[in-house]
Amino acid sequence: MNHHLNRRKFTTASLQAASALAIGATAPGGWMQSLAASLTQQPTSQDRVLVVIQLSGGNDGLNTIIPYTNELYYKARPKLAIPKEDVIRFNSEAGLHPSMRGIASLIEDKNFCVLQGVGYPNPNRSHFESMDIWHSCQRKESRSADGWLGRTFLQLNQQTSTDSTDSLGLHLGSEQLPMALVARGVQTPSLASIEQLRWKGKTDSSMESSDAQSTTKRKAPLESDGNLLDFVSASTSAAMQASERLEKALASPDSSGDFPNSQLGEKLKVISRLLLARLKTRVYYVTLDGFDTHANQLLAHAGLLRQWSEALHAFHKRLNTAGLGDRVLVMTFSEFGRRVAENASQGTDHGAAAPAFLSGPKFDNTIVGDQPSLSQLDDGDLKFQTDFRRVYATLIEDWLGASSNGVLTEEYAKLPQLGLKS
Amino acid sequence: MPITMNSKSILPTMRLEDMDPAVAWQAWEPSNEEPWDNRRASLLHRRAGFSATQEELRPTLSIRPDEAVAKMVRDDTSDSTELIAFEKDSAELAKSVLATFDAKQLASWWIHRMLNTPKPLIEKMTLFWHGHFATGAEKVQDAELMHTQNTLLRANSLGNFRNLAQGIAKDPAMLIYLDSVSNRKAHANENFARELMELFCLGEGNYSEADVQQLAKCFTGWEIRRKQFRFNPYQHDDSMKTLLGKSGIESGESAIDCVLASPYMPRFIVRKLFRFFVSEDANPSDAFLLPLAERFTQTNYSIASVVEMLLGSRLMLSGWSIGRKVRSPIELAIGWMRTMKCTTNVGFLSERLRTIGQAVLYPPNVKGWEGGRAWINSSTLVGRANLIYELINHENTRFDGVPLLAFAERKNAKDPSQLAAWFAQLFFVEDINDTERERLSKSLDTSKPDRWANQTMIYLASLPRIHLS
Repeated sequence: MNHHLNRRKFTTASLQAASALAIGATAPGGWMQSLAASLTQQPTSQDRVLVVIQLSGGNDGLNTIIPYTNELYYKARPKLAIPKEDVIRFNSEAGLHPSMRGIASLIEDKNFCVLQGVGYPNPNRSHFESMDIWHSCQRKESRSADGWLGRTFLQLNQQTSTDSTDSLGLHLGSEQLPMALVARGVQTPSLASIEQLRWKGKTDSSMESSDAQSTTKRKAPLESDGNLLDFVSASTSAAMQASERLEKALASPDSSGDFPNSQLGEKLKVISRLLLARLKTRVYYVTLDGFDTHANQLLAHAGLLRQWSEALHAFHKRLNTAGLGDRVLVMTFSEFGRRVAENASQGTDHGAAAPAFLSGPKFDNTIVGDQPSLSQLDDGDLKFQTDFRRVYATLIEDWLGASSNGVLTEEYAKLPQLGLKS
Repeated sequence: MPITMNSKSILPTMRLEDMDPAVAWQAWEPSNEEPWDNRRASLLHRRAGFSATQEELRPTLSIRPDEAVAKMVRDDTSDSTELIAFEKDSAELAKSVLATFDAKQLASWWIHRMLNTPKPLIEKMTLFWHGHFATGAEKVQDAELMHTQNTLLRANSLGNFRNLAQGIAKDPAMLIYLDSVSNRKAHANENFARELMELFCLGEGNYSEADVQQLAKCFTGWEIRRKQFRFNPYQHDDSMKTLLGKSGIESGESAIDCVLASPYMPRFIVRKLFRFFVSEDANPSDAFLLPLAERFTQTNYSIASVVEMLLGSRLMLSGWSIGRKVRSPIELAIGWMRTMKCTTNVGFLSERLRTIGQAVLYPPNVKGWEGGRAWINSSTLVGRANLIYELINHENTRFDGVPLLAFAERKNAKDPSQLAAWFAQLFFVEDINDTERERLSKSLDTSKPDRWANQTMIYLASLPRIHLS
């Protein structure tokens, strides 16, 4: 990967062309100055970063945080229950799936927090609908095509005047841009991999063309309105600038530490390099797919949990070594959990409430919320106790330092148990 | 209705809310103001196929537009020598590809069909249904079963939707993909039942959780054994179920018919066809789509009838639809290659399509490809421009059998500006403008006079307009 980057050479002319443009299509300024400035500045508490890991498909929360002392768990899951003796215990009622050794070590250092029973009222069991609810914070009837992080970016843009040309959000992955990151006037780049960044046929003239077309409208149009050509033009200049900026940021020698050779490991490794290169981006978004375990769940789920746990552990270790550990918080969530009872295909069907996870800084508590009841169920599913929007409110206000007013449709009580506010 | 001027006209800037649906879906007829011209015929070929060469536009323009549409949708040319030769080649290629057991090779086989077929609409419709009944080879892990499904989709692509839905419900690749190879009475698997209603027939919200559980019971005993569908009566729950408010439903087949009879079904399917052929950006009301939905119901779910109505409509051909779609990766790459009579290493092409978001036989999830603006992001834009750059520079690439410069000369394009104009009138929604012409000449590296044709095509690939259809 590294020698690819080192081979890349840019002419002075194309760098100047890039500096005349703006990465978010809204923020003017030259990135060369901002890059120089960011390299000399020490991080401050205003530079906190959120990384979102989306476990797509519906993670089986009960086989992640395991109620190993509850007989009902073993009754509901004759084939899928994790044997008591294999569970990595961290208190008298709950333990981790045995493939989560990396996370066990984060828990020892108080860098990991389990939020029990996160969900929302009247759970929807469609992957797409439930995921959209998590992204937009709205039900289908009242939904506009933007997401909670996109709306947070608007708040951050308003309250801080920045000379940075780095976009506030960055999505790494080959799937489409998550709705969570979308908002009117915000262009969030989406990158499949850093190898694919290099625009091979780029000339100064082609950059001018895309810029000339996009500047007729300074604001990037919202996903759902505006002229299609304006949208493609704004996206094209954002792409050309992101290509230049990220290549430059990643051109420094690779000292990323030991990351597992997995899909998620690779993505978190790229993020760690961007963080070390002092990119001003505040939110990174990645997904890990495959959690829709309707059949033969045991091995597949264990592998996914291992991938997540190992990558997360390596990521935080790398950041701690670089002195960035207290600046970066990771939230991991899934669109729903799974049914309490296993099905006949040695799998589990779509469920409702499930744990969400935070990691990175020191947390006051390792577990927030009660162990979910296995006797009082909602149509065979766990009941939720914490609305996911309370988690968002806490992250938006106490971590990113923005106002959740205007991001969430109503006021949601924050979770003081996390001790995030500094 | 707030129509003041002339309710009979469809103006290019009009909003769908301001149109009379009956007028919008009328068959378009040419007039002095709206002639049957190059611009409209190439739109038809972009939407009903993969863009057209000049040679393909000529016969389309020599007949009436409704005849041209009917020829694409209905004409049975199975006895034409061109089609027979194409199918023979394709069948032989499929045989050798299946011998490798590699679904990626099978994807290349399908790309090869799209590039070479004399009936582009059939491949386009097969692609539509593949996105609709999305099934991923990474989970099915069996190229032969993917081929079986692909054949089912193609054979019914313009046929009857009921046959298609009943067929897909017993398709081994589909049932493997949705974890339904075994389905026991004791614990019905809800996955296929849910997706049949949510994604294949009705849309989210148009059924209840109880319907999912009831429908799942109807499918108990449906199994895949040794790569074949099998009904296992010992595992079938033969109680009477109540589905979507209708009681007395017993078998899986009758349950599918019950789902198809829901009033939500025609709306759901014609909306998806509208998005695919007309625009993903416009969000029409159910009332606006009603004439299409009625046609679908009246023809007993004939797909060809709806597609014919869509393609030949005033909404499509009067000009309103021009530039209202983002080219999918397939439409961009296959269309570019067909327009340029370009041949290259198909394996390479198939791999590049994956990086820009459309690997056929490997859809992102059971919902298929979102389409529209979702095709466009920083990665895919860089990837799209790079795809054309790499196509042009690939050692195996030829244009009508010759290098690009010689091809340009054949088209009487003697300089960059003439080549750009020739390409734009076939591939862009508007001709190239003066600013673009000027920037093109600035972008050329004059120290390489033999590279001007390459540089021109690379420059055109960087223009945002290349992504619109």
